[in-house]
Amino acid sequence: MNIQHKKLLVLAFLLVTGLGGLGFRLYDLQILRHEEFRASAENNTQRVIVREPLRGQILDVRGNPLATSIPVKVVCADPTLIGDKQPIVAHALAPILEMNERNLVERLTPRIRADGRTNRYVVLKRKVSLDDWAAVRGVMTNLTFGVDESKLKKKDANFYKYLRRSAVFSEEDQLRVYYNKNLASHVIGYVGFMSKTNATKVASFAIPPKGTNFIPDDAVVGKNGVISNQVEKVEFETGLNGIELMFNKQLTGAKGWRRTEMDSSRRELFSYRDQDVQAHNGANVVLTIDVGLQDIVETELAEGMRKNSPLSISCMVVRPKTGEILAMASLPNFDPNCPGKSPVECLKNRIICNIAEPGSTFKIVPVSAALNEHVVTLNTMFDCENGAFFYNGKTLHDHDHHRLISVQEIIKHSSNIGAAKVGIALGANMLYEYIRRFGFGRKTGIDLPGEVSGIVHPVKNWSGVSLAQIPMGQGVAASPLQIMMAMCTIANKGVLMRPMLVDRLVDQDGKTVLVKYSPQPVRRVISEEAAREMVQALKTVPTKEGTAESAHMDNFTVAGKTGTAQKNANGVYLKKYFASFIGFLPADNPEICISVMLDEPRTNGYYGGKVAGPVFKAIADRAVNYLNLKPDIQPELEPESTNSNSTLATIPGIPVARPNKKE
Amino acid sequence: MARNRRNSDSDAARLTPALLALLICACFVSAGVGYVWYKNQTALLSREITKLEDQLKNLQTENKLRRDSLAEKSLPVNLIKLVEEKNLGLGPPALSQIVRINEAPVTHSSVSNREHSNAVPRLRKANDR
Repeated sequence: MNIQHKKLLVLAFLLVTGLGGLGFRLYDLQILRHEEFRASAENNTQRVIVREPLRGQILDVRGNPLATSIPVKVVCADPTLIGDKQPIVAHALAPILEMNERNLVERLTPRIRADGRTNRYVVLKRKVSLDDWAAVRGVMTNLTFGVDESKLKKKDANFYKYLRRSAVFSEEDQLRVYYNKNLASHVIGYVGFMSKTNATKVASFAIPPKGTNFIPDDAVVGKNGVISNQVEKVEFETGLNGIELMFNKQLTGAKGWRRTEMDSSRRELFSYRDQDVQAHNGANVVLTIDVGLQDIVETELAEGMRKNSPLSISCMVVRPKTGEILAMASLPNFDPNCPGKSPVECLKNRIICNIAEPGSTFKIVPVSAALNEHVVTLNTMFDCENGAFFYNGKTLHDHDHHRLISVQEIIKHSSNIGAAKVGIALGANMLYEYIRRFGFGRKTGIDLPGEVSGIVHPVKNWSGVSLAQIPMGQGVAASPLQIMMAMCTIANKGVLMRPMLVDRLVDQDGKTVLVKYSPQPVRRVISEEAAREMVQALKTVPTKEGTAESAHMDNFTVAGKTGTAQKNANGVYLKKYFASFIGFLPADNPEICISVMLDEPRTNGYYGGKVAGPVFKAIADRAVNYLNLKPDIQPELEPESTNSNSTLATIPGIPVARPNKKE
Repeated sequence: MARNRRNSDSDAARLTPALLALLICACFVSAGVGYVWYKNQTALLSREITKLEDQLKNLQTENKLRRDSLAEKSLPVNLIKLVEEKNLGLGPPALSQIVRINEAPVTHSSVSNREHSNAVPRLRKANDR
């Protein structure tokens, strides 16, 4: 073999060895470690961007917004891009974000995390308006650092460029706004943040695995929508009270996502977009509440609060035929835009959460029951013992002294002794049965959280005087809502209705009705005839001889009942009272039922007729006008013109304009 | 070289292989350039699309904000405040200002077939065929 051949062989050997090595490296990278590098490459480029749904609105029955969500920003920062310029950045941002400069400097300072890496994500402020975010962007873009950047090296110039462009960035968020502030706050409720730390449930890889394409509802999502198990604690906004809580799932909607790829500048590569699922925005909840009527109620309640100085004052307006709640208010209330600023007791909806002895308004139960069972008629006479009735070791008193009065007059004068005797005539078992049928001792099922069922003791636990006391409204505890629905039963010809607060659910455009709720009759409690007789008796209450003359209206027949209940603490009756009046109108074909209740009125007396009656009348006068109800008492008309030469057309009820007299 | 070849080769015949090679190279080059141009166009278009999507999103956001603002201004409580501020002297009507017109109930015999067919067409229901 000559030298040339040897050289050739050596060269060939070297080439083969070199190429072989390269080939093996290629095999190693492409075949053996393929999965590892594929995952790493996907991790660098693939992103799943979660799209948060817009929370649904809460609307009144006429479509006026009571609660809505507006888009805002979460202002975040990447401390690693700020270097040592935290004071300059903090000084620029503090006035816009309305934050303390020192706190900002602290947040912008990089920290070492538990895994040894520097944090690249810190939240500066949530719920920043779009205008404020635009101001932040403007400030960051024009930020100066006192150096001539044109003379800097490329690396240093890039530092300042990235600081301005990317150090402070934003994420999408939404802010819940309640335009009417305190109006109907107990009904609407409020939202707030809750946090969860269920990292174990989270996927262990950065993107959903192929074949699943699914983001579970409880997925923990970190920065840029990357699902990871590194996040320790996540806060999410949810309803915490009222309708916001009861209909939280419907209002929240469902998340969407976009599965795509990004380049090194974090720009999306549209052609590599894999999936694009729109978020399903929350449904709008349309209430039965009428915001105009609600405003009338709250204005008059505020006036009642000013005049009588009670601890609290509450009112409901209900349509008896359907159970729809047109207005529900309790003062003092709170602003759902900042519920934390009000005392805790203001957050409570007293109409459904507070129970107390109902007092004289409860007399409608034993009297209705006795009429229904034909134990008594409206003309049946009872001896009211001249105001003092001794029964089973206890003396019952009337505030007025009566002798023989009819059942109708027992209601008119609100005689405790008369009601007790009606109850005794009815019997314990029958009385208990009707108390339960009227809905006492159980929840009404209203669409609000925190409702209590009240207290009605079974007959076997009654004392010797319970049969006489309970018809007067002592010995049972009921919420204002339960008393209201009992009165509505009488107004609705004896049928108890479920209180209705939500009319329907519609989509965000308001064009498609998703769910429609119908009025729900619960049961027939008393016959139509008994209800009619009861209405007859209740019509005598707001008269000169009755206990609620102040509730009388000129153009509408009102039927109602006053209540003045002594407050009870540890079995001892105090010299403090609940004053109430519940009435419906027009009496023979009721359109609305209004209940007013004052807790401990301290000026101007404490009788229901004296303090609650005027508030009822003030609300009713404005409500009938607002709702355009037809009067059942015809108003007196002005005398029409008798001038035979008059050419003016006359319309009954419309005052005629008189022409100017010529001299 | 053979005499025949030296004498019979023309310029064209000598340049043909070179031209062929040039043509093939040009094909490859233009394919490469075309591919790069196509990818560039795709990238530009995708940026344009994402930019327009962002614009659409911003417009939708602005639309929602304006709609909410209008709804807020139309709230009855705000309208009443406006009436009071501007002293317009408006208020709810008095009972004597309300005229109620009672319509006579419509009976089937009072409406002839011709009148019915000339009336507003019946709205089509979902299960109509």
